[in-house]
Amino acid sequence: MSLSRRGRRFWKEWQPWLHLPLLLFAFLFMMPILWMLSTSLKAPDDIVRDLASVHWMPHPATVANFQDVLGKVEEFPVWRWTGNSLFISLTTTALVLIVDSLAAFAYARLKWKGRDIIFAVLLATMLVPGQALLIPTYLLVRSLGWFDTYAALIVPAGAGTFGVFLLRQFFQAIPQELEEAARIDGCTSLGILRHVVLPLSLPALAALSIFTFIATWNAFEGPLLFTDSMEMRTLPIGIAIFQGRYSTEYGPMMAAATLAAVPVIIAFLLFQRHIIKGISLTGMAGR
Amino acid sequence: MRRNFRTHLTGWLFALPHLVLFTLFLLIPVVYGFWISLHQWHILATAHPFVGLANYRAALADDIFWIAARNTGNFVLMVVPFGNLVSLLLALGISSVKRGTTFYRALFYLPGVISIAVVAVLWGWLYHSQAGLINISLAAFVAGLRQLGLPIPPFTAINWLSDPKLVMPSIVLMTTWWTAGGNMLLYLAGLAGISDSYYEAACIDGANGWQRFRHITLPLLRPTTVFCLVISVLGAFQIFGQSYVFFSPGSGPARSGLTLALYMYQQGFNQYQIGYGAAIAYLLFLIVLVLTALQFLIFSGERRRAEAGG
Repeated sequence: MSLSRRGRRFWKEWQPWLHLPLLLFAFLFMMPILWMLSTSLKAPDDIVRDLASVHWMPHPATVANFQDVLGKVEEFPVWRWTGNSLFISLTTTALVLIVDSLAAFAYARLKWKGRDIIFAVLLATMLVPGQALLIPTYLLVRSLGWFDTYAALIVPAGAGTFGVFLLRQFFQAIPQELEEAARIDGCTSLGILRHVVLPLSLPALAALSIFTFIATWNAFEGPLLFTDSMEMRTLPIGIAIFQGRYSTEYGPMMAAATLAAVPVIIAFLLFQRHIIKGISLTGMAGR
Repeated sequence: MRRNFRTHLTGWLFALPHLVLFTLFLLIPVVYGFWISLHQWHILATAHPFVGLANYRAALADDIFWIAARNTGNFVLMVVPFGNLVSLLLALGISSVKRGTTFYRALFYLPGVISIAVVAVLWGWLYHSQAGLINISLAAFVAGLRQLGLPIPPFTAINWLSDPKLVMPSIVLMTTWWTAGGNMLLYLAGLAGISDSYYEAACIDGANGWQRFRHITLPLLRPTTVFCLVISVLGAFQIFGQSYVFFSPGSGPARSGLTLALYMYQQGFNQYQIGYGAAIAYLLFLIVLVLTALQFLIFSGERRRAEAGG
């Protein structure tokens, strides 16, 4: 007993010191993002002014880089790319939410022939690396006439199984009695999904929405391969194009990177509780 | 009978929208991709002669394919242990403090929500040999130490992305920054699942911090560790965006940044040899499949031995 108490007292005294390494790591993890912001606000000669020491504060701070990036509308339609990213991310999220909650309901709460076999097939495809699907999906998209359209960037995302697993797990935990009571009151299956199951699964729906939104916003391989006109590109591809042309203009490049990163960072900070809970519950990062 | 039919039908109807998309954009591509890899398939040609396994034979005889395979293997061998070690250390640190856990969790996960395009553009700038933050910081640090009178040589710029030997380690460091937070959350969930009573019992028995970690935390965290390692390997083998953004349209000095997925892309979409590209993709698929199966066999065999022994 005395040993336990001594151990605990020792821990209580020393545990706050753990904040030192944690804060050091926190600083290291934030440095790249802070440096991106810092460079994006610096004038060209300020960026290379003093290479003997690190200077964080832009002197003077300027928004010229952002004006530069946003001003080259002909060459770099950044607003259009932002619009594309936003539209694709929102519609993909809506599609995934609808399709996956219907499917998850079928796998979690309904009994039908073939259910378990099909679910096993869904599970097995988790081992398929996404890269292996790029070439066949590219040809498929072409033959459907979807190349360089929004459909090519939205519809294939509905095939994912992550959301079905996530929602199924939640739907299974909802007490059977609630469903039976609703059925006695004359509720159809669709009614039960809408009025009983979905309202009780809001945390899971929130987690799935934000995962899908961020994953679509950041998607790289799909938009790279399934589009080719400047008007149909998304922000990440736009950033890569920008880097290819202006590889030495770091001010505008960091401004463009900031423009692409800030919306997801804000979305993350707003919903971080749901994201972290979702990852901890499902054991998947949704990527 | 009639009612029975209706319940089955309802189930199918609910599953159907997802099932159609799943079949069209996941199941069919898996089979179709293999079919493509059996043909000499030029993107612009109308005829695609069947060539059997010739694309696979060509890949295995292709020196550049082996460079890509070796680079990818090196990347996996570095990023999986290093990344998981960082994730585990962060999780252990966060689970040991009382205040600020939400802050730390969010902060360490934050890089993970940024697109790989932005991450690579940003790190390309950090790695700049003259004006990059990393070299400037290191130079200032070394100069400071020398001023204190330490006998160390003056700092010479490190060519993070132009020295073939350093390209993969640089990509590993960047990727760890980008992905460590995801695994950290999984390790945190695993740590939260270990009951305090084990630690209390160990304290009563006089176990010190290291002994508690070695004999309680590590063994009980094993399922989480195995899961994290398996998904890290799966993800790491698919590395593409890092090299693409750094080196496109090339593949780095002496092809040091060439990975299997990038080589598939170059063959398929720069050389238009989509059949050959599909064969590379399927070899990648095969490697991932075999390694995942192996990991499960090793870890489940180990557990069985441990259970039989204990």
